[in-house]
Amino acid sequence: MASEERQKEILEKLKQAVIQYDEDQAKEAAQEALELEGLKANDAIFNGLVVGMQEVGRLFEAQEYFVPELLMCADALYAGLEILKPHVEELDLGVKGSVVIGTVEGDVHDIGKNIVKMMFDVAGFTVYDLGRDVPLDKFVEEQLRTDSDLLCLSAMMTTTMTGMQKVIDDIRKKNPKVKIMIGGAPVSKDVAQKYGADGYAADATNALADAIKMIGSLKDLKDEAEGKKK
Amino acid sequence: MAETMTSRERVLRVFRREETDRPACFSGMGNVTTEGLSKLGYQFAKVHQDARMMAETAASTPKLFGYDCCILPFDLAVEAEALGAVMNTYPDSADILYPTIKEKVIHSPEEMETLHVPADLVERGRVPLMREAIGLARKELGETVPVGSYVLGPFTLAGQIMELNDLLKLSFKKPDKVSKLLEDLTCVIVAVAREYEKAGVDYLCVREMGATSDVLSPRAFKSLILPHLKNIFKALSVPSVIHICGKTNDIVPFMVESGATAISVDQKNDIVETRKKLGPEAIIFGNFDPYNVLVAGTPEQVRETIRKCLDSGVSAVWPGCDIWPTVPPDNFNAMMDEVRKYRR
Repeated sequence: MASEERQKEILEKLKQAVIQYDEDQAKEAAQEALELEGLKANDAIFNGLVVGMQEVGRLFEAQEYFVPELLMCADALYAGLEILKPHVEELDLGVKGSVVIGTVEGDVHDIGKNIVKMMFDVAGFTVYDLGRDVPLDKFVEEQLRTDSDLLCLSAMMTTTMTGMQKVIDDIRKKNPKVKIMIGGAPVSKDVAQKYGADGYAADATNALADAIKMIGSLKDLKDEAEGKKK
Repeated sequence: MAETMTSRERVLRVFRREETDRPACFSGMGNVTTEGLSKLGYQFAKVHQDARMMAETAASTPKLFGYDCCILPFDLAVEAEALGAVMNTYPDSADILYPTIKEKVIHSPEEMETLHVPADLVERGRVPLMREAIGLARKELGETVPVGSYVLGPFTLAGQIMELNDLLKLSFKKPDKVSKLLEDLTCVIVAVAREYEKAGVDYLCVREMGATSDVLSPRAFKSLILPHLKNIFKALSVPSVIHICGKTNDIVPFMVESGATAISVDQKNDIVETRKKLGPEAIIFGNFDPYNVLVAGTPEQVRETIRKCLDSGVSAVWPGCDIWPTVPPDNFNAMMDEVRKYRR
């Protein structure tokens, strides 16, 4: 059972690398995970990197970590993810798909958007990242071009939030089946309802914590899917 | 109660901790309204780059609603532009969009050390236009309404001229490097603020929202931001305000320690707690939600919110951020009516 112990050790190393925002350690541990027979890349991601990020989310909510720490932890996660991703087997989580994501015109804040994007990267989505300060028409255009399952709009400022409604109205007319998520500091449940969005993540702090929780729920889905197989 | 003071007298007395005829209701951040813009026939994207249009637009808010101040500019790009950044005013957008920076000054962490502060900084970008606009606003409003302006805090300005992601990570990994940049930017901010003082502003607000506790730890605020804020307020001669939005309850003592005459916080701050912490002498401005209450609320919700601010112990009613232009006139009027009626 030496191998099982070794697995545990590597997963713990991946987890700690994310928590301690140590990119080098994340790369090293990801490499070790690939070399160890019996440890799947998927498991290394979800039972190592993601578990670490969940702990980071907890530390963030407890105000032990702030945004700078969160960004560094995300870098560590990506460092590991980049090595593991080419080795991931097809996973049926019931959520696989593609997403168009960006920050609406007038808004140059993209930290929240990038954390949400990380969630999709972890889940193996095809991500079309339009960046920040994106003209409203561009969202509609890209969604239609890529036929993505999801459209995610982000606004950090109240002043740019109103643009989201225009995108939603326009895209509903042209493509009623796409799921739309909105997020950002001024977004509330009321706003999401009023604008006709399918999902939302409110306020800067919550949006970041929520995004991390969503990665967590992907992990649950994965466990469930695998449980069924057995 | 009949008003016995002009807005200017009232506001200046608030800064001196003197009694006023009624609570002051004003701000140190933008107050442009679509009501004012349409009366003047101006498009929002155009008023940032013309001194006369800017002054008239800024003066329209106290004229239309009896608001206790006239504030200009309306955007957060003046200092960054003087350093060489390029602003986008979204001239083609039908919506109201605040200008943003489309071309930064520092493109990599290495360039932080080689930031070039032009010797003729105050003749660059829109600094001369700001001097002219402040003078025009003064002339237009005479002694009745105070004319105020704002500059960015050093951390927030750093976020305008370089990638925010890099700035935030470096503030943790290489605080000395960031502190050196903030030192340079402090000189820029003081130079611009002094020009505004010479042009005749009655007070100045320093907006340091980038260092809110939603983003930076109170510990980092104290060690990395506070020393530079102190240097800014030491250099100012008009009454001053430090504004930070979002979570601020843990940093209000540092905000006072910065040396600003008054502190400004938004609706996320628990004013009762803050008042208890800072004592009766502190001048605290706040703290209503300028969008969800003033724009999206009903006049009755506006009145309730204004009463709550005053009951909690603010020294003057003041929005948590810029007033969002589409504020319904009924709501603005309800706010002003409520401060006129208020009895402690």
